[in-house]
Amino acid sequence: MFVRFDYPKTLENLVNNFLVTDTVFSQSHPAIDIIEQENQAVVIAELPGVKKEDVKIEFENAVLKISAERKPYEVPENAKLVLKELSSQKFDRSIQFEHDIDAGNISADLTNGILKVVLPKSESAKPRTIEVK
Amino acid sequence: MENNKKNTALVRACCNAVVPGAEGYEMVVCPAADIYETSDAFIVEIDMPGASKESISITADARMLSVSSLQMINDSGGGEIIVNEIGKKKYHREFRLGTGIKLDDIRAEYKDGVLLITLPKADELKARQIRIQ
Repeated sequence: MFVRFDYPKTLENLVNNFLVTDTVFSQSHPAIDIIEQENQAVVIAELPGVKKEDVKIEFENAVLKISAERKPYEVPENAKLVLKELSSQKFDRSIQFEHDIDAGNISADLTNGILKVVLPKSESAKPRTIEVK
Repeated sequence: MENNKKNTALVRACCNAVVPGAEGYEMVVCPAADIYETSDAFIVEIDMPGASKESISITADARMLSVSSLQMINDSGGGEIIVNEIGKKKYHREFRLGTGIKLDDIRAEYKDGVLLITLPKADELKARQIRIQ
């Protein structure tokens, strides 16, 4: 299923904006925010309980793929479960970009369960002002 | 057997309804939690991605354990929000406590976006082995 998050109102928007499509909508998809800034796009994902070494970020064919695994809390032996609400142990989400991304300079940071991926735009995708001669 | 039943009733979650618009934040959410019981303590594990040690407040009285925090995602740089699933939120959750918890010895740890609270049981509640003489 293709879910288009961006609903351009005008043709101008359609041309200028990032078009983001989301291909994974499974139970374990983490909540995300996507922010487009002048020179970069920022993807923020909630990954509670995930350690740095258990996150995998790939970028191929303009698709950013975030996969992560949450290792369960080491419950002491003989512990009884009283309440169980946390379920997702695997997170998986793909985001398609239609802008040119400078794939070599993508950076990511995971702090307090929040993953932040910064995707710089390639030179050709950056906005520019054209001087009238 | 009866003693066991009594113990599991000690910590009960009461999930608060969503209150929109508190303190300039978009909404107050009730974070998901797991509760384990061991022979000498209850362990509450709460998903709170994006909180910080400084922003988390935990209070306990004889009846209620109350946890709250702001989600601090620093999205400096402005820009246009294309996808907004995380939003700005405040976490708040209360757990009804039974008797027999050592309130002075409650410990908490925040790691990878997950808050772990250990509520030690009072001595009279701990299971003990009785030897036949």
